[in-house]
Amino acid sequence: MRRSPAWHLQDSDLHAYAGGGLAGPLLWSVEAHLGACASCRDRLHGCVAQADPQLVEDGWARLDASLDAAVPGPVERLLLLLGVPDHTARLLAATPALRLSWLVAVALTLAMTATIARLADPIVFLAAAPLLPLIGVAVSFGPGIDPTYEMALVAPMQSFRLLLLRCVTVVSANTVLCALASLAVDAGLAAAGWFLPSLALTVLTLLLAPRFGTVIAACAVGVGWACLVAALTGALFTTAGQSGTALAAVLAAAVLARRASAFDTSRFRRIR
Amino acid sequence: MSIDAGIDVAVRADGLVLRYGRKAALDGVTLTLGTGVTGLLGPNGAGKTTLLRILATALNPDAGSLRVLGHDPRTAPGRLAVRRRLGYLPQDPGFHPGFTAFEFVDYVAILKELTHRGDRHAEVRRVLSAVGLDDQRRTRIRALSGGMRQRVALATALVGDPDLLILDEPTVGLDPQQRMRFRELFADLGEERAVLLSTHQTEDVMSLCRQVVVIDQGTVRFSGTPADLAALAAGRVWTSATREPGALASWRTGTGLHRHVGDPPHGAELLPPTIEDGYLMLVDLSSGGAP
Repeated sequence: MRRSPAWHLQDSDLHAYAGGGLAGPLLWSVEAHLGACASCRDRLHGCVAQADPQLVEDGWARLDASLDAAVPGPVERLLLLLGVPDHTARLLAATPALRLSWLVAVALTLAMTATIARLADPIVFLAAAPLLPLIGVAVSFGPGIDPTYEMALVAPMQSFRLLLLRCVTVVSANTVLCALASLAVDAGLAAAGWFLPSLALTVLTLLLAPRFGTVIAACAVGVGWACLVAALTGALFTTAGQSGTALAAVLAAAVLARRASAFDTSRFRRIR
Repeated sequence: MSIDAGIDVAVRADGLVLRYGRKAALDGVTLTLGTGVTGLLGPNGAGKTTLLRILATALNPDAGSLRVLGHDPRTAPGRLAVRRRLGYLPQDPGFHPGFTAFEFVDYVAILKELTHRGDRHAEVRRVLSAVGLDDQRRTRIRALSGGMRQRVALATALVGDPDLLILDEPTVGLDPQQRMRFRELFADLGEERAVLLSTHQTEDVMSLCRQVVVIDQGTVRFSGTPADLAALAAGRVWTSATREPGALASWRTGTGLHRHVGDPPHGAELLPPTIEDGYLMLVDLSSGGAP
């Protein structure tokens, strides 16, 4: 049986603890003692009764709120671990292209493409990898895609900000997976040639999205990319080709930044 | 009223036009809304949802002037100011089915700029409690019935205690008991705010609306009190044992007698009109090209 300690907390410390006014080592010491001493716990009970009732109310509310919050999914937990604020993590958790199943599908596709590239030609990987974030972006936002599009549209948080938030995260996740896959493509530094095209294609898709919707925009950009690769083949992945792609990405981003308000209202008859 | 001092009109629209291609969905809608619950009635395809989407800042009208809560929603600052004080329930609200009811309302609360976790969670619990979903807070959306999902969607509209509530068919899919509960809630909300709701339920309008607007083919056919709408059919509702092919509307009631709306024959047994009778006259007269 646990014996009661030989010493007890002073009234002033108990009152301060009940009022939430203790910090640092003294707080820890008081808590450790309360855990062991039934008599001090009884005295604390009296102090809490005298303390600000609002404080007790707030404590219950906090406890209740934390009980309401269900255990977040794996992606949300990972984002929280990476230091993303809880509200941003919740917004991102509703992005289909950040679901575990989606990311696994992307990883498998990349592994397959990298294998083919290794056996045949690295250009297979360089041409296919930029299309994956494009698909991810296409299913992340817009009427008919996001079930809460209309609610999000009329919310004070700017739709463009939500879109960018999702796109940056989708592209980042895809970039990490592509970078890992490019290690398997036996082409040295040239295996990173997908990176600038993936940025350029994503930004171009966003630029066209307010007028055509994200899916049609992504399809058009994807087809355009396939034609370009077929026409220019290896030239796209030379230093000159990469410089041209970088320039296109920067130009498209500059235009996009000026067109942010185009995402503010819908142009579509069918919003959902 | 809670709408800003000096602004006792929540919505003032004049000559709103919106075209989808060559078809005008709204063809010169003029409307004024104040505090209290206003019902928007009209047949399917009349332009109700388009009008609500414009007032909720989702669509920009092609022509006409519009002030919502004292701001012009066609400018970016005006739109933001309106959105900060607006609650909107879309006609067919979508959900992220993997979220719990609590998480989903929390998600919308974040979109409504409530970033402080403690305050946001308290607000989420308040609105879920207001729609009677205290016990379903931790249930996933995919496991909720249609009526319960509708209540979750309504809860999202209530987040942030908005000054203007725009609700597109909020009572659809609810059983009579739930509808009664919603009516009570809307009546309470309408005491201090402007609430505009579209519905096909004339009983909803009769029991809780201070004003009723009837819209058909993109124009406003009537705006006034529910009693005024019913009065349109005064002296034009009668009952008889047989069918009346000449009536605008005619149906056999549960008592076996027929009820008719239109121009009664001489000596007909007249009945007191309901707002449904007034509505039928308006819509029939307008689509039939009568005066």
